[in-house]
Amino acid sequence: MFTEELKAFRRLGFRHVLLQVLNFASVIASGLMIWKGLGIVTNSESPIVVVLSGSMEPAFYRGDLLFLTNPSSEQYKTGDITVYKIPGAEIPIVHRVMETHDVPKSIDIRKYTKSKSKSKPQPGEDSKQDNQLLLTKGDNNYVDDIELYQGLEWLEKKHIVGKVRGFLPYVGYVTIAMNDFPQLKYALLGGLGLLALIQRE
Amino acid sequence: MARTKQAAAGSSNANSSSVNGSQKARSPSPDPSDRPLGPLAVTVPAYDREVVKVNNANLTELKNACDDAVKRFLSRPELFKQIYTHTDVRLGLGWLSVFVAAGTAFYGYKIDFEQSKPVVTVGLILYIILTVLSTLYAYFVEGDTIFVGKRKTFSKRIITERITLSSSTPPTPKASSCPSYSVSLHYVRSTNGGKTLLGRGRTKGAAPYNKFFDANGVMDQPAFEKWVGGLVETAMDGKAA
Repeated sequence: MFTEELKAFRRLGFRHVLLQVLNFASVIASGLMIWKGLGIVTNSESPIVVVLSGSMEPAFYRGDLLFLTNPSSEQYKTGDITVYKIPGAEIPIVHRVMETHDVPKSIDIRKYTKSKSKSKPQPGEDSKQDNQLLLTKGDNNYVDDIELYQGLEWLEKKHIVGKVRGFLPYVGYVTIAMNDFPQLKYALLGGLGLLALIQRE
Repeated sequence: MARTKQAAAGSSNANSSSVNGSQKARSPSPDPSDRPLGPLAVTVPAYDREVVKVNNANLTELKNACDDAVKRFLSRPELFKQIYTHTDVRLGLGWLSVFVAAGTAFYGYKIDFEQSKPVVTVGLILYIILTVLSTLYAYFVEGDTIFVGKRKTFSKRIITERITLSSSTPPTPKASSCPSYSVSLHYVRSTNGGKTLLGRGRTKGAAPYNKFFDANGVMDQPAFEKWVGGLVETAMDGKAA
């Protein structure tokens, strides 16, 4: 199957091979840049996430795709659905805000967070903005998220990845399938690569 | 002075007087006795060809096969040497944008989101600029061009020739049953380091694809080369066909 393609490559020369590989590489590059651009525009680390558990049923089911934004001036309110990430935990969690306490700029928030880490404040972090202390709970859970906070009493704004603005049902199952069966991921990437390398515009 | 000498020599030759007649007023008529070898005159006997077989129904494949045949035909030894400027610009801009994207993504992966934001934004803007530049170049500057070639020959003096070919598949009118391959050539012959213009020709030609491809999609390369060679030699003679 490949002998014809290899013959064609040898006939057309080195520059042609470079052009074909560029085709493939620029598809990947544009995908990466669109993802990073989306992150910058929404001010969120991961603007599109997949729901992995059933803790927010009946609002969100496992496999739903969520769209997040995280404007820096946002003050979260009770009832907002947020995605947050605890430092030390790998997976972000999507739950609803139960309680909020606004902490104005002048007060050092670390007085109220009995966090285990004794780190010094980073320059430009927290101290210059209005901060909030948040407590969350999944709609389908019996208890709030204190157990999940790994020692923290409250969530701060810096832990929030974003607030849910919209969702698409079922689409996230593609990502779940690719995570559970890595061969699928490689097969898809390999197939796309082959197509881009052989096709000529 | 050189030109009046050529015109005098040309008028005595019956062949070139017809050339002069069909010329556009502004382009000088090249001296036929001075003409370097045209592509039809150069036959390389041991030229073994690979069979070119394409999918008959795919217009892109047909056009690409014709373009590749033109490039092979005109790049033979003794004929033109291909200038790769357009390709190189596209390759350069393209690979630069790929590296910028890879670097930006890697940086964003290693550094925390908040701290990485300024650098990632700069990288993103740079990528967008490079991509837009590359697209504009390909659309406006390169356009339909498929081959740019140059040749230096030495007969009485060093003659430099430059040929540019562009091809397209124009939309087929309802009357005809087969789409056609339209090619247009621009040929310039000069000497003295490009300062003295010896001749210039502009030719256009179109032929339906079924003249060169049979029902199975196999390309009739000798027929195609004869057709293209005829067009090139017409341009070299300076006829505005």
